[in-house]
Amino acid sequence: MGNGSRFILTLAGASLLASTAATSLLAADITISMAAPDWPPTRFMKEEFDKTYTSPDGHTTTLDMDFIPWPSFYERVAASLTSGEQKYQMIVTDSQWLGSFVEGGYYADLTQFMKDDPELTAIMQDLHPVLVSSYSTYPHKTRAQLEEAGTWPAPDTSYYGFPQFPDTYVTFYREDLFCHEGEAAAFQEAFGKTLPCTYEDWQDVDWDTWRDIGEHFKRAKGEPLGDGTAEDDFYGIAYQAGKGYDFSTMQANAFVWQYGGSIWDETQAPDGQAEGIVNSDVAVEAMEHYLSLLEYMPPVAQTGQMDIFVIQDLYMQGKVGAIIDWVGLGEPVLDPNTSTVSDKSAFGPAPGLRKEDGSIDRTANIGGQPFVLTTWNDDDVIKEALNVVKWWLNPETQKTFVANGGQSGLMSVMADPEYNDLRPWNRAHVEMLDWQRDVWHIPEFFELLTQQQEEFDKAITGQIGAKEALDAVAEFQQEVLEEAGHIE
Amino acid sequence: MATATAKQQDHSGEAGGFFAWLMAPERRGPLLVTPAIVMLFVMNIFPLLWSFGLSFFNYRANKLTVPKFRGLYYYEKVLTDDKVWERFQTTAVIVGSSVILQLIIGFLLALMFARIFPLRRILLMLVLTPMMLSFVSVGVFFKLYYEPTFGLVSWVLNHVTSEPFVMLGTPTGAIAAIVIADAWMWSPFVMLLVLAGLVSVPKYLYEAAEVDRASWWRRFSTITFPYIKSLLLLAVLFRTIETFKLFDLVYIITEGGPGSATETIAVYVYRMAFQFFRTSQSAALAYIMLFVVIVLTNLYLYAVKRREQAI
Repeated sequence: MGNGSRFILTLAGASLLASTAATSLLAADITISMAAPDWPPTRFMKEEFDKTYTSPDGHTTTLDMDFIPWPSFYERVAASLTSGEQKYQMIVTDSQWLGSFVEGGYYADLTQFMKDDPELTAIMQDLHPVLVSSYSTYPHKTRAQLEEAGTWPAPDTSYYGFPQFPDTYVTFYREDLFCHEGEAAAFQEAFGKTLPCTYEDWQDVDWDTWRDIGEHFKRAKGEPLGDGTAEDDFYGIAYQAGKGYDFSTMQANAFVWQYGGSIWDETQAPDGQAEGIVNSDVAVEAMEHYLSLLEYMPPVAQTGQMDIFVIQDLYMQGKVGAIIDWVGLGEPVLDPNTSTVSDKSAFGPAPGLRKEDGSIDRTANIGGQPFVLTTWNDDDVIKEALNVVKWWLNPETQKTFVANGGQSGLMSVMADPEYNDLRPWNRAHVEMLDWQRDVWHIPEFFELLTQQQEEFDKAITGQIGAKEALDAVAEFQQEVLEEAGHIE
Repeated sequence: MATATAKQQDHSGEAGGFFAWLMAPERRGPLLVTPAIVMLFVMNIFPLLWSFGLSFFNYRANKLTVPKFRGLYYYEKVLTDDKVWERFQTTAVIVGSSVILQLIIGFLLALMFARIFPLRRILLMLVLTPMMLSFVSVGVFFKLYYEPTFGLVSWVLNHVTSEPFVMLGTPTGAIAAIVIADAWMWSPFVMLLVLAGLVSVPKYLYEAAEVDRASWWRRFSTITFPYIKSLLLLAVLFRTIETFKLFDLVYIITEGGPGSATETIAVYVYRMAFQFFRTSQSAALAYIMLFVVIVLTNLYLYAVKRREQAI
């Protein structure tokens, strides 16, 4: 070894020592407190973080997840934020809350961080555009608006969130019943149609067939069902029709959009009106269709309490043949400890409205949640929180997540040939993702949502009709939105 | 100099330092109540005053805009809001029905437990259990009981009608469902009060009435009722105040539905404050509620005073 080599080695060693020393000097104990709904996708994130996360900046990072039950999640997060306690550094949030908490000064605008960091830029460009539109932008930009802009970031657009768990609703169905020869023959005879059995069959299921399924499988206790008899009253179909939170709006919106109607469009503010749009003839027709199918569903539908958890529960108890529910609620269905139909379940896309050309419109309301950063974090915490984001949205982490019941929003991950086989609902999720739109993101969303849920609930329980409900919703929304300055 | 030092020693010696000075008999009382007063101020009085102040501004907890003074605007808005009056009416129906039912059941239970019979103590303990449970548990129990697909109520009635019983599907059914749950939980409380009155009736009065061959009704109206009437009034007022604030059971069993048929004023205040973030408006409504409760409380205190005088 010559002197030159020795010098270079010495220099390299010194640099290494210096950088190690510098890293250890800069390394710190960082705790990221995250508000998260208590369910499998967030539980998995915590477990996976504890197992695999290493800070690229050498920090000792703790992800302290505050698991909050779903029914009180909004209220708990809202109470924490508005009280000023500054407890959370990151929050898993419904996309509808963006406006409320951005305007309140609680959610941090991440646009500049995303632009400055090539890794984050790459993530944003790889995310499905529906998710960027729904989970990240405020004021809200539609997918069409973002695509029209053609660049990332779109001009005059602020970005706030990254997908923690992108969710869509799909059909959960009993393979033992839907692929039963006797049932299929009876269905064919009664309705002149094929009883959907395979995924491809379900791709051809529209709302009319969905109704026929409901009629076909409605059985009283003791009547023949599949290979046996119904142990209890049995119902063919169920979808969400609950008063709580958004448990009818999410499904009703799908009908409205599929019929070509619209909810109040925040991207058209201040010119876009609520009256005349929300209660348009086509919206009323769509709502009537949504309501008309409830008669084939379990009697809890008549109470207005048939929410996403109730239909999941009824399905797992073996009392319903097929339900439309969120992918995020699929994992317990396959668990023999919680489900009596764990070995009999399969998944397909959600039904939709058949168009004149024979195609099916499956437009639906997106579920799932982004996570955001709060505004009071110091630079170190922001940097480390973004490291956590990068770790979570890393393809390897995402694939592990998907294999354990989650979903990815990254198009590169979804394009992986193995993706659809990782979990039985993945194919349906990928197909449904393209059909998603989102509800409002403005600060007044909860007021609009609660009143709408109340009116829908009256219609669901038969107190009023679809038109009366939508007229009341439109009138209320017009008043609230005018008062808030969203409509001039 | 020596005198000054002695005085100084006297002062500290007598008091034994600051702690002893602090614990002097004349300061001991105020000192002991100070923590309670501080807590009361921090946890009750300050938030009360603060929210009272907020009710005069256009403050929203989820917006950064600087609040502007609006005077009595929100009081006027709340009092002219049809929804508020609807909720007050719903609350009145629930309060009226529930309190009457509690009185009837509580009274009958008290009459039963005023006698001695086998297993009385055990049965009494079981009857008292509901009021010791949390609202959330009771709400969840009853929600499941009323569930039409697999609930207990529907299951029992299904044997008679062969149809699922959908109790929560109509406004009347849903109100009845809440009233039953509330009465189940709180009738034992009424029973306790009435029972206290019943056992305080001197036995010799009944013996004298028996000698006079007084009828059951005569004994009840001239001996029993006068002893328990002030306690009954207390029970009515206490339960009225509590039921007026009913939130938990409604929120869990019906969430105010169907539609808004069971939404009590307490649930509406909650929605306005923590879901709609109309902070000032909700504060104004809360103060109107507080006013009603204060009126009821004064009636309660008046009843207590009357009873004390009677005794």
